[in-house]
Order: sequence, then C-alpha cells, then structure tokens
Amino acid sequence: MRRSLSLALILLIAAGVVPAPAQDRARTKEVVVGLGAEPRTLIGVTIVDWTTNNMLEHMYDRLLDRDAKTLKPKPMLATGWKVINDTTWEFTLRRGVKFHNGEPFTAESVKATYEYMANPATKSHYWSASYWKPVTAVQVVDDATVRFVTEKPYPSLLDHASLTNFLVLPAKALREPGGVEKLQQNPVGTGPFKFVEWKRDERLVLERNPDYWQGPADASRVTFRFIPEFSARMAALLSGEIDIMKDVPPQAVEAIDKSGRAKVRSTVSSRINYLALVNLKPGPMQDVRVRRAMNHAVNVDELIAQVLKGRATRMCGPMAPTNVDFAPVECYKHDPARAQALFKEAGVDPTKLALTLDTPSGRYPLDKDVSQAIAAQLQRLGIKVNVVVNEWGTHLDKIKNRNTGDLFFLGWGPALYGQGTMDPLFRGDQTYSSYGNNKALEDKLARATTLVDAKARAAAYAELQKMVHDEAPWVFLWQQHDLYGVASQVEWSPRADEKVWMYEARVVAR
Amino acid sequence: MRAYVLSRLGQTVLVVALSLTAVFGLVRLSGDPVLFFMPMDIQAKDVNEFRQRLGFNDPLLVQYGRFVGGALRGDFGQSLRYRQSALGLVIERLPATLLLASTAVLLTLVVAVPLGVISAVRRNTAVDHAATVATVLGQAVPGFWLGLMLIYLFSVQLRWLPTGGRGGLAHLVMPSIVLAAFFAARVARLTRSAVLESLGEDYVLTARAKGLAETRVIAKHTLRNSAVPIVTLAGLEIGQLLGGAVITETVFAWPGLGRLTVQALLNRDFPVVLAAVFVISTTYTLINLAVDLLYGWLDPRVRLRA
Repeated sequence: MRRSLSLALILLIAAGVVPAPAQDRARTKEVVVGLGAEPRTLIGVTIVDWTTNNMLEHMYDRLLDRDAKTLKPKPMLATGWKVINDTTWEFTLRRGVKFHNGEPFTAESVKATYEYMANPATKSHYWSASYWKPVTAVQVVDDATVRFVTEKPYPSLLDHASLTNFLVLPAKALREPGGVEKLQQNPVGTGPFKFVEWKRDERLVLERNPDYWQGPADASRVTFRFIPEFSARMAALLSGEIDIMKDVPPQAVEAIDKSGRAKVRSTVSSRINYLALVNLKPGPMQDVRVRRAMNHAVNVDELIAQVLKGRATRMCGPMAPTNVDFAPVECYKHDPARAQALFKEAGVDPTKLALTLDTPSGRYPLDKDVSQAIAAQLQRLGIKVNVVVNEWGTHLDKIKNRNTGDLFFLGWGPALYGQGTMDPLFRGDQTYSSYGNNKALEDKLARATTLVDAKARAAAYAELQKMVHDEAPWVFLWQQHDLYGVASQVEWSPRADEKVWMYEARVVAR
Repeated sequence: MRAYVLSRLGQTVLVVALSLTAVFGLVRLSGDPVLFFMPMDIQAKDVNEFRQRLGFNDPLLVQYGRFVGGALRGDFGQSLRYRQSALGLVIERLPATLLLASTAVLLTLVVAVPLGVISAVRRNTAVDHAATVATVLGQAVPGFWLGLMLIYLFSVQLRWLPTGGRGGLAHLVMPSIVLAAFFAARVARLTRSAVLESLGEDYVLTARAKGLAETRVIAKHTLRNSAVPIVTLAGLEIGQLLGGAVITETVFAWPGLGRLTVQALLNRDFPVVLAAVFVISTTYTLINLAVDLLYGWLDPRVRLRA
C-alpha cells in the first residue's frame, strides 16, 4: 500500500501538477518569519502577548524605543521626555510623522490611544495596575507635546513607554463610529510596514511603508507564517520557506549550522530562569539557612556546561545586567560542605529531606532536563527530589494556588526593569510569587517603585538586590540565551529584549 | 421511512446537547481560564476584575444557563483568546478540514478497497503477504513520525513539496497521505476479511457455476455483499477525520478544525472548545445517520425491516 501511495505521489509530481515551491519562490526582498502561533488581535494596546506584539510593532511604533545594546530608553515617536513633577511626565513628539491612512501623528493620537485603552469596553490587559492604570490622565499641551499625569509617583512609566506597551493608534480612525472594529480588521499605525492580509492560522502579510519616518525598510515584504510544530518550523527553515525562526533548541543548533542554508544566531536574553524555594507554605524552605544551603548545594555552572551546553549566562541575584535596575551581587559558590553546615545549623538532616520539584516541559530551554539534573545534584547530598513534570496550564495553576512542591522551576521576562521583576515575584499576595511575608522587603519595594530620581532609584534597587540575594528565595540560575535560526540570505542580529524587528533585516541575495 | 429519519434527527439533537453539557462540565474541571490569557506580571486584583467582567465568578449553574441561552440562538460567545465569535472561528476552519478529510477518504477508498479485494482473491500469495505487511505498518507507524519523515524527505532533501500550510495541490499531498495511511490500512484489512467471507458463500458458487467471468463475480456478487461493514467503518472514520486530524494538522501547519480545537483546549478557551464540539458532534452524528440510510440501499433486507 505504501508503494501505491508513493507511486501516486510520483505520478502527481510527474504530471507537473505540483509546483516546486521552495525553488521558484519568486519573491525578491520578502522576509518570512516562522512563528508558533498567530496574533491574538491586530489592534495595539489591547492584549499583552509577546507573539502578538512582535507582529504588531512592525505596523505600529512605540512612544520610545530601547537602545539595542544598553536597553535604555531612547527616542522613537517621542523625541524627548522630562519630569515636570513627581506625578507629571512630559513627552515631546516627533513632527511630520504620518499614519498609513494619511492621518498625521500628534499629541491627539497619544491621547486617543490612552482613552481607547482605558475604556472598559476595550477590556485591555494594559488597563491594570502593573501597566497603565496608575496614569489618571493624558493631556494635550500642543500638537507636539503631551503630558502623562499619574495618581502616585510612577517611574516605571518610562519603562512601559519604551516597550510595546504603548503602540500609538490613529486618533481620527479610532474615534469614528465603528472605528475600533475597522482598525481590528485593517490595522493602521505609523510603523515601517503596512498591513496587507491575515489568513487565520496561516499567515500575516505586511508590505513596506515607503514613507516611513526613519526611511523605508530594506525588506519589501514581511510575512509571518504560523507553524505550530517545532520540527516542521525547522524543516521550513532548512527548505528555504522561512528565513527566521525563534527558540531553536540547543540540541538542534548543529543541524542548522551544518545545513548550509541557515545559521544559528544567539544572544543573551533578558529572560531569566530560576528555581523557586517556596516559603509561602509550611516546609523546610521557610528557613533562610535551608534556602542558602540549597544555593550552595546546586552547582549552577555544571548545569550550564552539561545540560545547556554553555548556552546560558549565570545570574547571581534576582536581576541580570540586561535589567536597567541591575546592581551586581556576589554569587553563591558551589560548596557542598557549606551546604551541609547550613543544613545542620537549621537542624535539618538532608538525608531525611524528600522534596517535590515542579517543572514545565518545553516552555524554557531544556527546563525538564535542568530540573532532573538539579534533582540529581541534590541527591549527592542525600536529598530525595521527586521531579513532577506539568503541562504548562497545570504548572501555572499550581503556582497560583500554592500547590507546588517546595521547589518549582520558572522563567520570567522580558525582564527589563526592576519593578516588573520584583513586584510580582517577591510579594506574597501576587499570582506567581513563591516568596513573601517579608515586611521589610515589601516596604523597601513599595518605596523603590515610587522613586522618580534616577540616582535614588538605582540605590534603592541595589539595596533590594542585596536583600533578596541574602534571603535566597530562589536558587538563582541564569539568563537564557535566545537562539534564532536565520537563513543565509538574510542579515539580522537578535537583541536581548526579544524585539524581533524586520526593519533591521537586510536581504542580501536570493 | 420519513418517521425513521425524523426520529433519528431527534436523537442527533439529543446527542449534541448531551455532549455539549458534558464538555461544558469537563472544561471547567480543567482549571482557571482567565489566568491563561493575562500577562504574568498582572496583579491579583486585576485578574479578579477580568474574571468578574467575563462572568467566571458566577455560580456554575448560572454560567450554564447563560451558555444554553446563547447556544440556542447560535451564539457560543466570544473566544477568550482572540475576542472574536467562537463559532465564527470554528466555521472559518471548516473548509480546510473538509478538504483535507475528503481527500484522505478518497485516497483511502481508491487504494484500500482494491488492495483488500486483491489480497482476498489472491490469498496466501506473495501479493497478499506484501499487503499484510503494508497494512500492519500503516497502522503501527505514528502519524507525526510519518509526517516528519515525509517533510524531511520531500521538503528538506528533495525540495519537491512545501513543508506545510494551505495552498495548491502540492500542499495537500503529504497531509492527506499521512491522514489516509492509518485508515487505509484498517479499511484494507476489513475489505480483505469481508470479501474472503463472501467468497465462501453459495451464491458465489452459483454465480461461478453460471459461468460468469471472475471479475464480474467479484465486482457484482462479492463486493456488494461485503459492502456493509466497509461502509460502516468508512462512515465512522470520516467522522473521526473531521475532528481528529489534530496531529496531521499540527505537523503540517494546516489551518483546520483539529488544530484550532486542541489549541483552544490547551489555552482553556472554553467558548471555542464548545463551538468546536458542537460542530464536530453534529457532523459526526449526521454522517452516522447517512451511513445507516446507505445500509437500506445496499441491503434490501434492512429496508424491509424499517
């Protein structure tokens, strides 16, 4: 039967019914990006989702951008900003920028975007306390000047403005009756590419905006193709159907590099991985000495070298250098003797410890393998660790309901500013935290998140990082390395903040 | 006859209603739907506000009542993930799934039935043994593996066929082969045994005694009498192909119903899951009804009893 099937296939091809798609792709300067999922919406400032925003920011611009190297805020649609007082921020806007529908970009666009987001009918994720709810009003000063007024001092405003959290929408189109629905179907931004079509579960096609204010892109077209299966995505890269794919697993790097059709490009990511030592429920991890002992017991360097083949960068505290509020702290050294001593001090016999480690599988690079390796390392001290592999949804539910074991594996990112990491992870009442009930830490955290002055903010976060390091709420692991497969005919370098922006891609030759 | 069809249609409504109720209960056991499509750094009170707004804080019975009320008007609510009509998303995927499923069924019947007949007629010959090996393989090889191997060979190495997606005929070749492989193997096995059984019957002996050509004996007397189990199996399989092409659709990035449904389940997008169950269970029961009506045409004895 198999023979008959292949015979039928060969007949089909011989009959010339089947075009050879990979070879006669007659596109000239099209870049095709392979993604695992399609966008959840085409209108900005509505849904927080990396995949969605990655596509959207080809059509819309941010208020501020980030420097590719330092990841510090830099001008984009806003050319500058200043602090008027603790609760008022003023942005100067770029003049002469036009939306794809011809509408000029002005302070009114910023105001209308804010109002769309704040409208309860929008159900925007961004209208929440961790994003834009602290902003009580956006005021138009003149066409090119706009002010953000906050209820309390809110220095993270600048961090949000320089992410995809404020993609500016066109005011007039938005305020027309039925305007929102129209913009959902036919998104209009100021970005380097214009919307062409979206075929559900197949592709999103964009074309170059020749009038882009930073100059037209090199790529004439950007197509995002949705290929859920990783192996199929890799096959599409190797067969030349797609030019860029994200999250190549470390074990596939060699196959891609050797293919002659694509290369793997990697960057240290702002995304961090850690092993939570849960103190939010009764158990040995409520003792700080046990948590410190765990940090001495786990050999992080060995995990990086053996499991991740060097494709991770060790992190000693809760933040990495890609975080604007990073301050260095000293690493816990791998020291089994010190670990034993600390266990003894805490009155814990490691050979009698039986711990459960919850881990997702396939969410972070080799997450399950890392968890099993950690279990093996702890076994050397006689600690029994039962690794439980969860489906992603179950994993999140367990963390939320404080139903995990004493240990769980999690990643966090893009982790680009202090509040975004510390606030949700080190307060006991937050959804995904594992550690809390530390009044001193919470008070300092609350203070740090209101410091508008840059120096005071830096000092406050430096102190917090030291505190968290000493409290050892996690076994601090590493920053992931993001691995991208890039076709030979495309020149593009990945960035630490996971901004995959085809405006920066060069198509060399086909 | 009309009364029969009407009562069967009534049963269809009941079956669909029961499956929707069961699935409604089951998905809610799977966990909290709201957390899934919220950013991870969102504060607990904001999550709760969303839950309130989406009605997930109401008692389950109230939610069920709201669901039934909507479903009766053909409104399954908005997808939690995509914020579009859930039924719309499902209907949008239907043509792609139908295209893939019907190609696979066609391929199955064209290959498997003749293969089964030949195996039966030439039983215990090399042809029969080869066919047995092929069908056992067809059933044993997992679909995702076969799919990936085909992609590797025909897309990466030979570059003849696209790795996936929907498009021209070329895009249809590999997914329909993978989808057909398993079912073709089963249909071929069944055809072989059904034909073998008929071949031993007296009417075959009579037909041969009349001096009919062997091809005519097979085509007219044997095959038609073996058709009932084959049609039954094919009917069940078409139903399965519609909702169950999950793996094939995922491997080949085919924009179909199975892929949408599984994604919706993994993401706890309840309205989409329910809309998909509605469409799949309705089609499934209607196909079963069609198969039962086919019996009457194939076997007059069934007609007489009805």
